[in-house]
Amino acid sequence: MKTRILGFVALGTVVAATAVALFVVAPDLNQGDAQRIMYPHVASAWLAYLSFGVTAISGIGWLWKRDLRFDAVAVAGAEIGVMFTAFAIWGGMMWGRPIWGVYWQWEDPRLTTTALLLALYVGYLLFRRLTDDPERRATRAAIVGIVAAVDIPIVHFSVEWWRGLHQTATIASPDRVLDPAAPPVFVGTLLGMLGAFTIAWLYLMIRRYQLARAEVAREEAVRIERLMAARAAGPSAEVAR
Amino acid sequence: MSDAEFVIAAYAVIIGGLGLYTVALWRRLRSIHGPDDEAR
Amino acid sequence: MSAVRAEARTALAIARKDALAELRGRHAAVTTLFFSAVVLLLFGFALGPDSARLAAAAPGLLWLAVVFSGILAVNRLHLLETDDGALEQLALYPVARRAIYAGKALGGFAVMLVLGLVVLGAVGVLFAVDIASAWLPLLITVVLGAAGIAAVGTFYAGVTVRLRAREVMLPLLMLPVLAPLLLAAVKATAAALAGDPFGELGAWLQLLAAFDVIMLVAGAATYGYLLED
Repeated sequence: MKTRILGFVALGTVVAATAVALFVVAPDLNQGDAQRIMYPHVASAWLAYLSFGVTAISGIGWLWKRDLRFDAVAVAGAEIGVMFTAFAIWGGMMWGRPIWGVYWQWEDPRLTTTALLLALYVGYLLFRRLTDDPERRATRAAIVGIVAAVDIPIVHFSVEWWRGLHQTATIASPDRVLDPAAPPVFVGTLLGMLGAFTIAWLYLMIRRYQLARAEVAREEAVRIERLMAARAAGPSAEVAR
Repeated sequence: MSDAEFVIAAYAVIIGGLGLYTVALWRRLRSIHGPDDEAR
Repeated sequence: MSAVRAEARTALAIARKDALAELRGRHAAVTTLFFSAVVLLLFGFALGPDSARLAAAAPGLLWLAVVFSGILAVNRLHLLETDDGALEQLALYPVARRAIYAGKALGGFAVMLVLGLVVLGAVGVLFAVDIASAWLPLLITVVLGAAGIAAVGTFYAGVTVRLRAREVMLPLLMLPVLAPLLLAAVKATAAALAGDPFGELGAWLQLLAAFDVIMLVAGAATYGYLLED
């Protein structure tokens, strides 16, 4: 099956990119080996944002087309997005400790924005679990997902401002590797890692989507079973919505 | 390697986490399709 | 044009209904005010007794108290609806969903404004902060902050109104979204109290206003989908 091949490609590219990032590319002149953490950290962050964008757009798709497949994409995006967000934060902290001397730095706008992103979408996932009816759940989730997505640029903007007014001497930024002046080897390694992660992302999205569809089908089957049982029990049985 | 423990911790959790999530997905897919089905 | 006016009238009617219900003490607003006072006291115990430290922290404490109390207030406003199935009744009326949202948010704004002003006064007294000197920018900040909390709170209260675990879900959803408002309101308050030494007050107020507008639009646009449940 095509998805399985995709899975193997993902595995191969991730392993290769990791090997390059850890053993092939040289350490940074200033940051040393800690710089290597940036590759999976930045890649995870980009995929987190991509995932949540997919969730928001799929939510709109559901509200518009009322096709539950959109909602399956939405939940896949949210769950996988939460995972990559957690990775991004973890990577940021592992980088921060050797470079800043602390695990957390309030003045780093990207770290704080990403933490808020995690809060928004963990809330989204928890919120989803409270509704059993698939269509109601899809509608409610879509709305919450859209408002969360609308909030993200506001958060980003305001946190940047927040930091900007407290200029400390030199807060080393984790994103030096994105600097246009960065050595091409670094950029190349980052792009390779990003490509590998994106393939893995695609594979995981497909699998999670399949799972979501299967779960809805299962829920529907259970509901029909209960309906039959209730009918068999007689007109006094209450049908719960 | 300088700061080796942080680099290893970062990669272990991220790459390992990807692997664990993948396996978890496989398990959930297998259980919902029934162990007799070909789920992959 | 008359359609807009009809919507506006509906919104005002809903707002007045909520406000009257509050005033008649079915769900005493006094409880929320008292809660905010207790919160401020606890802040005093937690961060004091150094008054210099408390004065420096006052803007943050003010808005934390307002946000936390705001969650209670917003929760209660929508309780009014679930108790007698009023929300479902409302949904049956051929009224623009937007108007319902606007009305509820307006009612929420009135409550939040009162709450904000009371907490502002309490902070001035408890943490020895000179409010009178900067009363106008502080007033504007409270108005904008109250509007934002009302817009966001009304929306999420509507979203969680019939869920189990609502008491936890509402703050869990609301608080991350309110982070930019909190940030901007605290910065504006601090700037106002300090006499705006860096000229940043205007920028923060603009951010607050932008937040309010965006959230009001998003809330109004999506609220309708909730009522069709």
